[in-house]
Amino acid sequence: MNKILLIIQREYFSRVKKKSFIVMTFLTPLLIAGVYALIGYFTYKGIKDTHDKVAIVSTNKTLTEKLSSNQNISYTYIDQGLDQAKKELGKAAYDYILYLPEFSLNEPKGIELFGAKQPGMSLNRRISGDIEELIRTQKLKESGISQGDLDKLKTTVEISTKKIAETGTEEESSAGASTFIAFVAGVLMFMFIMMYGIQVMRGVIEEKTNRIIEVIVSSVKPFQLMMGKIIGIAMVGLTQFMLWIVLTLAISTAAVSLFVGKDEAKQITASSQAQTQISGGQQVTATAPQGPIADIQKSLAGLNVGKIVVVFLFFFLGGYLFYSALYAAIGSAVDSETETQQFMFPVMMPLLLGYALSLSVVTNDPYGNTAFWLSMIPFTSPIAMVVRMPYGVPGWELALSMAILAVGFVATVWIAGRIYRVGILMYGKKTTFKEMFKWFTYKN
Amino acid sequence: MLSVKNIVKQYATHRALNDVSLEVEKGKIFGLLGPNGAGKTSLIRIITQITAPDSGEVFFNGERLNANHIPQIGYLPEERGLYKKMEIGEQVLYLSKLKGLNSAEATKRIKHWFEKLEMKDWWNKKVEDLSKGMQQKVQFVATVLHQPELIILDEPFSGFDPVNADIIKNEILELNKNGATFIFSTHRMESVEELCDNIALINKSKKILDGAVDEIKNTYRSNAYWIEYEGNYETSSNDIYEVLQTEKVKNHTLVKLQLKPNRVANEALSQLMPHVNIHRLDEVIPTMNDIFIEKVKGQNHE
Repeated sequence: MNKILLIIQREYFSRVKKKSFIVMTFLTPLLIAGVYALIGYFTYKGIKDTHDKVAIVSTNKTLTEKLSSNQNISYTYIDQGLDQAKKELGKAAYDYILYLPEFSLNEPKGIELFGAKQPGMSLNRRISGDIEELIRTQKLKESGISQGDLDKLKTTVEISTKKIAETGTEEESSAGASTFIAFVAGVLMFMFIMMYGIQVMRGVIEEKTNRIIEVIVSSVKPFQLMMGKIIGIAMVGLTQFMLWIVLTLAISTAAVSLFVGKDEAKQITASSQAQTQISGGQQVTATAPQGPIADIQKSLAGLNVGKIVVVFLFFFLGGYLFYSALYAAIGSAVDSETETQQFMFPVMMPLLLGYALSLSVVTNDPYGNTAFWLSMIPFTSPIAMVVRMPYGVPGWELALSMAILAVGFVATVWIAGRIYRVGILMYGKKTTFKEMFKWFTYKN
Repeated sequence: MLSVKNIVKQYATHRALNDVSLEVEKGKIFGLLGPNGAGKTSLIRIITQITAPDSGEVFFNGERLNANHIPQIGYLPEERGLYKKMEIGEQVLYLSKLKGLNSAEATKRIKHWFEKLEMKDWWNKKVEDLSKGMQQKVQFVATVLHQPELIILDEPFSGFDPVNADIIKNEILELNKNGATFIFSTHRMESVEELCDNIALINKSKKILDGAVDEIKNTYRSNAYWIEYEGNYETSSNDIYEVLQTEKVKNHTLVKLQLKPNRVANEALSQLMPHVNIHRLDEVIPTMNDIFIEKVKGQNHE
C-alpha cells in the first residue's frame, strides 16, 4: 500500500510540476473566457451591425401601406425607374434595391432584390417577413379593422417552464439553460476522459520504452504500478479541473462585472429605442438578446448545481477509471505510440459515439429510450449521464447507472491488469488482439 | 542461500523453463550462462518475483520466496533504463524508496555512492544529459543502494566502456567481499572466467551443466599440451603421447601432444629432452567459452 502511495506521489508531482501543466492550467480558462468573450462580442456586434439600407422601387398600386424602417433594415422609397436605380447602385447610399411590381395581395409575385453583393439569407428572410406583415396589416384593415384594434391584437406570450420534482416541489427551469449546461458538461467529460486516458497510455509507453519498467516491477507488483499511475493521473485531472473551475469563475465574474454589465445596459436602452421606432405592430425581436442571459441566470439558481457537480465528479472518476485502464492495457501492448492506432480505434469508438449521441439525441429527448440506455451502458454513461443531469434524472436511474459504472471499471481494471502485467515485459513483437487475449489467460 | 527447485514455466506454446534446479551459495558469485533465448531471463524474473513459476519452488535463505524478500534482492535487468525527464538524484531516491528505504537513509547512501563513483555533481542532472555509460553507473547504484543480500545482474557489462567496466567490476568484488551474493546472467564467457565461483549452463529451457568453475574446467581437461623447443628434431606418436599438430617457426618447433591415459607431462618431456632444448610447456585448458560451445552444440545435435 505504501508503495502505491509512492507511485501516486511520483506520477502526480512529476506532472503537476511540469511547465506545460502550469501553463495549460492557467491559460485554458483565459482562453475559454477569451473565446466566449469573442463569440459574444461578435454575435452582439453582428446583430447591431447588420443594418442594411434598402431602396424600394415600386410600381405597385395595390399595396397602399408602406414598408417602414426597423432595427435591421432602413427602407427608402425612391422615385426612379428600376434600370436607373440599378445603374446607380454602386455609388448610391443604399446597398440593395427592392423591386415591388404590381401584384394581387393574394398572390404577391415578381418581387426582386438586387444588390452589389449577394444578399444574405437573413436579409432575404427579414424582407419577406416585413412584406408579409405589411400585406397582412393591409388585408386586416381592408376587412374593417382599425389601427387601434390592430395594436390591441399584438400580445407577447412568455412561457416559464417549471419542472415538478419527485418531491412535488416546482422547480424553475429553462430548456435553454439545461441544454447549455448539458453541452458544457458533455464536452468537458469527453475531453477529460480522452486527455487523461491518453496520458495514462503515454505514461505506460514511456516506462516501457525507457526500459525502467523491469526495475520497478522487481520492487512492486505490476498491478500496483498500473493503479498508482492511474490514480496519480486522476488526481492531476481533479487538480486541473478544480483550478479551472475556480479560475474560470474568477475570470468570468470579473469579466461580467466589467464588460457585460455596461453593455447589457446599453443594449436595453438601444432595444427600447428600437421598440419605440417600430410603429404598427412589427415583429419585436429586440428583446431577444438579453432574454437567454437572464434566463440562464435565473434557472441556474433553479438547477441544483451542487448535485450536478458531485455527479459530474463521480462520473468523471468512474469514466476515467473505466477508460484509463483500457488505455493502460493498450500502452502495455505496444512499443511506441505510433503502434497504438489499431487498438485505439475500438476504445475511442464507444466514447465518440456516446459523445455524439449524447449531444444530439439525449439533449433533444433527455427522457427517451436512447437516453436511458446510453446512460446505463458504462462505455457511454459518463457522458450521457452528465448530459441528462441538468434536465433531471430519477434517483433510481442515477443510482443504477453509478452502480453499473462501478462494476464496469472494476472489470476493466481487472482485465487491463492481466494484460498489462504480461505486456509491459514484451519487447519487439507486434501485438495482436489474439495475443492480448492469450496474455489475459496466463497464470501470473 | 538461494535454492531453485524443479522450476517449470510455460508461455502458451513455448516452454521457457523445463525442470530447472540450482543452488546459489551465500557469498559466492554465481554465473547463469546460456545462449540468447535459453530461459535465463525467465528464471531471473521468477527469482525477482516479477512472474511466478507454473510449478516448482524457490527458497531464499531456507524460506519459501515471498514478498518480504523483495528488499533483499537487487536486480539490474538487461533491458534497463531510467525516466528521461527526472533528475538523477530524485530518480535513485524514488527507486530505493520503492525498495523500502526511508528518505533520509537513502539520501545519505546515494551521496556516499555518488562520491565514490565520481558522480558527485550529477544529482540535478537529467538522464537526457548523460551518456549511456553514465546511465549504467546510475542504474548500478540504484541496484545496490538498499544493500541487498542477493544482487542479480543481467548482462552487466554490456554498454560499459573498459574504464567504467573495471570500476564496476571492482565495486562488485568489494560488495562480494562484504558478504553480498551475486548472480550474473550472461552469454559472454570472458567476464565469467574471472569473476564466477560457480556456474549453471542453461540451454533450450534446461539446465545442462552446473558446478564450481574450477571443477568444471578440470573435468573438461583433455590432458593435452603445447611444447615449444629448439632443435632440428621431429617427434612422432609413441606409447606416451600422440602428436596432434606440428608447427615450425624459424628454428623453433611447436607441437601439440595428447597424452595417453595415465601418462604425465614429465614423461613426455623426458622423451624429448635428449634431442632438443625445451622453451615452454602449456597445458591446453578449455575456456568456459569452449565448454559452453561444446555443450550447447552437443545438445543441439541430439
